[in-house]
Amino acid sequence: MSDRTSPTDWKGGAMQGRIARRYAAERRFRLLGLGAVLLSGLFLAFLLFTMVGNGLRGFTYTNVEVPVDFKAMPLTVDASRLGDADADQVIAGAGLADIVAFAADEALGDGGSAMISENAWKEVRTAIKADPDLLKGATVFHLPTSSTVDIAAKEGAKGELGAKVDALERDGKLSTGIHWPFFKNADATDPAVAGIWGALKGSVLTILIAFLIAFPTGVLAALYLEEYAPKNRWTDLIEVSINNLAAVPSIIFGLLALAVFINWFGICQASALVGGLTLALMTMPVIVIASRNAIKSVPPSIRDAALGVGASPVQVVFHHVLPLALPGILTGTIIGMARALGETAPLLLIGMRAFIGDVPSGVCSPATVLPMQIFLWSDEVDRGFVEKTSAAIIVLLIVLLSMNALAIYLRNKFEKRW
Amino acid sequence: MTFNAAALLLLIAGLALIGWLAGRARSSMLAGRAGAKLHSRPQYHGWYVALWLFAPAALFLAVWSAVSPGLVTNTVLASEAAKELPAFGFERGAILSDARNVATGRQAAVRIPAAAPLVKPYADASHTYAWVGIAAMLALALAGGLYAFTRIKPDFRARTRVEKIVMLLLLVASLVAILTTFGIVLSLLFESIRFFRLVSPAELLFGTNWAPTSGAPVKDTFGGIPLFWGTVLIGAIIAMIVAIPIGMMSAVYLTQYANPRVRRWVKPCLEILAGVPTVVYGYFAALTVAPALREFAVMIGIPNASTESALAAGIVMGVMIIPFVSSMADDSINAVPQAMRDGSLALGATPNETIRQVLIPAALPGVMGGILLAVSRAIGETMIVVMAAGLSANMTANPFASVTTVTAQIVKLLTGDQEFDSAKTLAAFALGLVLFVVTLLLNIVALRIVKKYREAYE
Repeated sequence: MSDRTSPTDWKGGAMQGRIARRYAAERRFRLLGLGAVLLSGLFLAFLLFTMVGNGLRGFTYTNVEVPVDFKAMPLTVDASRLGDADADQVIAGAGLADIVAFAADEALGDGGSAMISENAWKEVRTAIKADPDLLKGATVFHLPTSSTVDIAAKEGAKGELGAKVDALERDGKLSTGIHWPFFKNADATDPAVAGIWGALKGSVLTILIAFLIAFPTGVLAALYLEEYAPKNRWTDLIEVSINNLAAVPSIIFGLLALAVFINWFGICQASALVGGLTLALMTMPVIVIASRNAIKSVPPSIRDAALGVGASPVQVVFHHVLPLALPGILTGTIIGMARALGETAPLLLIGMRAFIGDVPSGVCSPATVLPMQIFLWSDEVDRGFVEKTSAAIIVLLIVLLSMNALAIYLRNKFEKRW
Repeated sequence: MTFNAAALLLLIAGLALIGWLAGRARSSMLAGRAGAKLHSRPQYHGWYVALWLFAPAALFLAVWSAVSPGLVTNTVLASEAAKELPAFGFERGAILSDARNVATGRQAAVRIPAAAPLVKPYADASHTYAWVGIAAMLALALAGGLYAFTRIKPDFRARTRVEKIVMLLLLVASLVAILTTFGIVLSLLFESIRFFRLVSPAELLFGTNWAPTSGAPVKDTFGGIPLFWGTVLIGAIIAMIVAIPIGMMSAVYLTQYANPRVRRWVKPCLEILAGVPTVVYGYFAALTVAPALREFAVMIGIPNASTESALAAGIVMGVMIIPFVSSMADDSINAVPQAMRDGSLALGATPNETIRQVLIPAALPGVMGGILLAVSRAIGETMIVVMAAGLSANMTANPFASVTTVTAQIVKLLTGDQEFDSAKTLAAFALGLVLFVVTLLLNIVALRIVKKYREAYE
């Protein structure tokens, strides 16, 4: 070649400019990457911040001082019957609700009875049952306010109500305390007494059933596929269907449960039993896949050694492989269970949407779960339920994150490099 | 007296424990007395007895608890008191279940007066069937246990037998997956066929008007196109516009630029996004994102902005999918051989030129597969769209308008109060079938791509 190009002039202005542009592009690209990571992080932070900001107030409640003078307004109840099983009806029948409402009107001025929760008298009832001597004198009770007053006290309000609340606050009659009914009660129409205990217990029952079915089935299936299954069309079919099931939308499992469990078999609708069965079918493929990976990572030398000293194939697996793979299997199972615990859509279809005012008593009684309670409360028009919803979300997130943290801890602690 | 499956299961488990102890004791006694060598160790004889005692009885228990409610109902229906029941439909079912609840003690008193005369026949019938079931179960357990017990001899190959049963158990466990798949396909197909007898499949797939009403099917109200469009708009367009760039860039940054310590902390943080339950995202979308977007839309002068918008649901769904896209991209980028990267850097390319012109093209098939999986997950997502996207079937490209999706409609069709045989209810299963088929195809294609590409480098 005759026309030799001159060597690149690295120090020349054109080349230097080009390099500067390339380096600038490099920095921009890098910043773009960092930006993407930060954006995701920011979104997570914003989500958590909003939920915690809204929800923390749901754990507390505003109470108001109401003196009730049983001397002036006697509650005619036979003190000896207060220990009986029907004490609740006896007290209600004697008109305690009216007495408390009257006392509130007297203490808080006109419309005072509307300022306390419509269930506030039940607190008084509990106190009387614990100490019947209260009936003989006057006592100052700290009663839960109505939902509107509670919000006004927490957020401030304008108008007549705001003025009233401000006045009460100045007099030191309002107090804020941890809202125990939120942890002890089931759902209710009044935000002052609605709680998550029913949903929490439903969740625990449902997950327990799902675990009892999905864990053994999943682990045994994984053992079979990884250790014994011959390579043929049948095992291919099993493998393909497990992988597909792991990717099927969860709502399809709801349709399956509705058609098979409820309409064909007639298992108790809307119960923890059907919910658990549904979630078990959903989590089983996840457990199988995680278990297979854990089993695969146990080195063949261990199997060979066990076979060499005369163990049968079943003994090899149950005495050696399974115990070594168990930490990995448990990690996968916990993650799968956490996912099932947060699931709502399939349970919506099997009727767990209904309002459940009682704590579920058994696996077949109507139950609701925590995510479903969140969904139901999110639809409530009453303003008091907004902070309840966020508070329930906080509880759910704490449970889920601690399950995930446990899984990560187990993985780090028991992870073995062979 | 009712049929309590859990308690009975505990009972036969207890019997099996006794069988285990007895089998073990018998075999070691035989070995000691005859001085012969046992073929299997005593506990295998114990297991043999326990399995023979437990398995037939447990199987019977499972079958009986599925079958006996039907038998009880049939007996009640044949009784004198059932003559006055309404012939068919929802009311009849309600009366029967009311009577059943009282008879089994789940409810203190009848809610429907017509159910009152049925309570006693119900209680009697379930009493009878419960006793028949318990007797048969115990007989089976004892027969199985005795049979196994008499077979214990020093040279009996108990271990081989027990291991055969264990293998059978493993096989059955892995068949559950196939069974579930068949259950899904059959139940969806079965109900869809009933639906397609009322409404033609062509109408569901290509019709443009979605307005199902209860009662008799009205022509041209089951057109699925608006739902499919809404699903695509939210799941495949808006969510992906959010998830793909952020997910890809996060993966690139974390694999190529971030130092390992940062990566170790940031990656699990991103994964939290995937672990947040969808109902929380839905609430967040409906409560915080949607109103903010509406205000924004009103500010820039969009007239019919709604608080339930495709945009709110799509954005939040996109955020949910970010960790999914980023971990798929992460895997594909990591699978590109280091030599290719080193070669590009050695030629003088800057890292970003290497990434854009070497790594990403090489990882593209894997990334595409990951994106298809993400789309399949997005179109199957339910709670976010139920809570934030609205339920009105609109065929609009305006992201600020309310649209509806396949999953949201399935929920809507199945959560009202209606009898189970109406076209409206059955339509949910037909929609479920469409959703199942589409996500299945997406998954198969995606896995093909990912697999094929992996083989190219390894």
